[in-house]
Amino acid sequence: MDDLGDIIQEFLVESHENLDQLDRDLVSLEQETQSRDLVSRIFRTIHTIKGTSGFLAFTNLEAVTHAGESLLARLRDGTQPVTADTISTLLAMVDCVRALLSTIEETSTEGDISIDSVVAMVNRQMEQGEAAAAAPEAATEAAAAEAVAEPAPTEVTVEVTVAAETPAEVPAAEAAPARKRAPAKKRAPRKAATAEPEPVSLDASAPAAGPAPAKPPAAELDAPAPAAAEPAAGYEARRPVGELLVEQGAAQQSDVATALQRQIEGDERHLGTILLEEGKTNPAAVNDALQAQNKRSIADSAIRVDVDLLDALMNLVGELVLVRNQLMRSSSESRDPALSRTTQRLNLITSELQEGIMKTRMQPIDQIWSKLPRVVRDLSQACGKQVRLEMEGKETELDRSLLEAVKDPLTHLVRNAVDHGIETADERVANGKEPQGTLTLRAYHEGGHVTVEVADNGSGIDVDRVAQTGVDRGVVSQGQVSQMSPREIMMLVFQPGFSTAKQVTNVSGRGVGMDVVKTNIERIGGAVDVDSERGVGTTWRLSIPLTLAIIQALTVECAGERYVIPQVAVHELVYIDGKSTRIEYASDAPVYRLRGKLLPLVRLDQTLGLSGDNRDEGVYMVVLQADGRRFGMIVDRVLNTEEVVVKALNARFKDIGMYAGATILGDGKVALILDVASLARRSHLTSTTSERTRAAGTDESASAGKSAQRLLVTGVGERRVAIPLDTVTRLEEFERGRIEQAGSRQVVQYRDEILPLVRLADLLGAMADESGDTVPVVVYSERGRSAGLMVDKIVDIVEEATAVRKDLHEDGFAGTAVIQQRVTELLDVRRAILAADPNFYAETSDDEYLVEA
Amino acid sequence: MPTRQYATFEVAGQLFGVEVEAVQEVLSFHEYTAVPLASPAVGGLFNLRGQVIAAVDLRVQLGLPRQSLDGPVMNVILRGDDEPVSLLVDRIGEVIDLDDSEFEPPPETLTGPTRELVVSTVKLEGRLMLAVDVAQAVDTGRMGY
Repeated sequence: MDDLGDIIQEFLVESHENLDQLDRDLVSLEQETQSRDLVSRIFRTIHTIKGTSGFLAFTNLEAVTHAGESLLARLRDGTQPVTADTISTLLAMVDCVRALLSTIEETSTEGDISIDSVVAMVNRQMEQGEAAAAAPEAATEAAAAEAVAEPAPTEVTVEVTVAAETPAEVPAAEAAPARKRAPAKKRAPRKAATAEPEPVSLDASAPAAGPAPAKPPAAELDAPAPAAAEPAAGYEARRPVGELLVEQGAAQQSDVATALQRQIEGDERHLGTILLEEGKTNPAAVNDALQAQNKRSIADSAIRVDVDLLDALMNLVGELVLVRNQLMRSSSESRDPALSRTTQRLNLITSELQEGIMKTRMQPIDQIWSKLPRVVRDLSQACGKQVRLEMEGKETELDRSLLEAVKDPLTHLVRNAVDHGIETADERVANGKEPQGTLTLRAYHEGGHVTVEVADNGSGIDVDRVAQTGVDRGVVSQGQVSQMSPREIMMLVFQPGFSTAKQVTNVSGRGVGMDVVKTNIERIGGAVDVDSERGVGTTWRLSIPLTLAIIQALTVECAGERYVIPQVAVHELVYIDGKSTRIEYASDAPVYRLRGKLLPLVRLDQTLGLSGDNRDEGVYMVVLQADGRRFGMIVDRVLNTEEVVVKALNARFKDIGMYAGATILGDGKVALILDVASLARRSHLTSTTSERTRAAGTDESASAGKSAQRLLVTGVGERRVAIPLDTVTRLEEFERGRIEQAGSRQVVQYRDEILPLVRLADLLGAMADESGDTVPVVVYSERGRSAGLMVDKIVDIVEEATAVRKDLHEDGFAGTAVIQQRVTELLDVRRAILAADPNFYAETSDDEYLVEA
Repeated sequence: MPTRQYATFEVAGQLFGVEVEAVQEVLSFHEYTAVPLASPAVGGLFNLRGQVIAAVDLRVQLGLPRQSLDGPVMNVILRGDDEPVSLLVDRIGEVIDLDDSEFEPPPETLTGPTRELVVSTVKLEGRLMLAVDVAQAVDTGRMGY
């Protein structure tokens, strides 16, 4: 029984893999309805499942696959055309098989899953096919030819063997050079080594069976042994193109024989070329045959390895990298040439070993992409849209743990693109686009990480709508939005709270919002970005580290200790010389003008609570990006960039939240890896505060940093009034002439809106200073509304934790404090704002903006 | 009479001991990486054959000022639950066999941080050894920092 259990287990594993492939193939088949290769492959897979399930006595499974097989046989034989309905039926069949397999996995029985409806569906399809007009003559002919060449799919393997034994037509003279060439496949030594003698000699006929005339690059055509030079060669005995063509029914055996004979007689053209030029076959068939020729047999070239073993090896390599780094360091100090040579060698071998081991953990991104064609197909049908899915860079590899982490965010982005990005066919046509939208998945390596793009050519992101939604949902205020660039507004979609529950069910059905996409990607050290042009399309870009275990990192020094910053967060380095590049202060908050924009600065030593010398020159600024916010971090020195092995930190340090881990540097000393996102948070640079920071734009901006304790001190007549800085959006100077009267109140036109004003002096009963041409106004915004407080002058921004004396209550004030040796009244902002605009809080009733006295 | 083996060490003139099974190894180390913002009881991190180990300053745990980490410092490396943790001590003593009869509860007059770490008092010839509760000793969150 145990044996049977094992067999079932193996059957399940194998079938699950096959089912994924089936989904993909079926969706592809819908696009390329003529591809015999696909039909044959689908047929074979179903046939295999059917065979095994019959053997294991899973009758329902057998019945379903049998039905599916019958339908597929008709498609293969060309007696029935491939239509969208056929594909849907087959997909439903695959789903049914999947459900059955899952039940078998859980209960070891088929359970009570009903197969009747699916079988009926399949039968209906076949009847319809029957009723449909007879297939075109050509197709029947081809089918007849194929019926001869391919009696039953299970026998295909037999044919391969036969093929391997019949290179009879190939002259010995041509076989010999091919044998010599075979070992030259240096790129794939392992594969070449395992290649059997027969396949190699088989290759000899490959030059004859050259690539299709038009498609491949000229270089390949001219190469002496084009087939042997192709990287895919060597996986399996390659079957001659001629034979494949015959099998497909695209050429006659006699024509192929004639063509081969001509080659032997000295015709230097490829076999495919000869056949084509003589009109004995068609280009599509040659292409198919060439692709089939390059198919490799996975079973022969892959083994299953325990992931734990790979992880253990990875750890050991990590250790080795450290030892290598240490040895490199000491050998550079010694003058022993022999040692230095050996170290160099060790260095090379370690790098290669590291690369090799990392590769074993790498899997092509196709692993997760493979499920997407089905997702796109189903969703686009559900939305009534036409979407073509294109994939570029399927073979791009990622660490398996990362792949797993990227799966859901990527699926979400794809669903979102189909649902919201791409318009319906009618809309597209109305906008002068082709009715079918294109969704492109693109993966490529870029400087130590992998970029995955999800690009659609749909309607693009409506920045205004995003801004409005952001304001409606309270993610940003109107005032902030008016200060943001379109790009910054687009980034709002990643803010938590941006997507509502309703949207989530619509869009993803998985409870994943864009903020979750962002969080998940950032958790693995990646980043998310979006680019969009109205009417042209949207590109979501995920930047993912290659692996978590070893990262590219920048080592910096601060207060005598070294710290490591993941390179992915580092945007640029600036040396602060105090002259051409210098730190400026907005009140006491340091900022830097980076290409015209103010960048808030964080001093690493201060953030870490270390005693630094607070130098403003001779230091370095590392421009970092986290949570979509940029900031500069001041460090004493920048040392180098290198690959470091990330070591998990003990749980006792988790609460600090500043460190992503530790690593061992080249000299053997431990260094902490900074968690840039936490650093930003800890420095109060998180989105909301920073949003405000940006909105404030000028001097006050950076000081918003610790705004909770900060007060804006203003002068009103002889008195001083302090306003909590976190309620201040902006400081403006208005010309007195611009201030107009509206009813009993004063207003000013501000950013295409009417800004109600209140004169603090009036509120206070103080003598206002009317002398200047302009009047400073403290702009306060909340939930899209703004109001301005007119003062006489802006005195300072202070951060004193002062003892507020509450007893001196006066109308409009929350208390009194001593700030810079002067009695200062703390403004009750709410009351002041109400004086400017009695309706300001009409829809809001919270008291949180009251100054805490 | 059942006996237990204790590894002994000295901190600020007082002899302490932990059960020998808890000790992975003892070694002197001189390069520690400070962990800013961590509990003051964390002396630093160091590299033990490729493993990053946290060193807990036993002086701080006993309510004393921090150990100076400028020169080599003795580490008693304890097998933790998931990973080793080191205790920074002044000096390493011998491994001694102790009878159960030699253990007594800590004196009632012993108070403060030390009391929380000590499980029993052992009467050795000429001096007293305090048996340390390993879990308490490495708990850097214990002082409420």
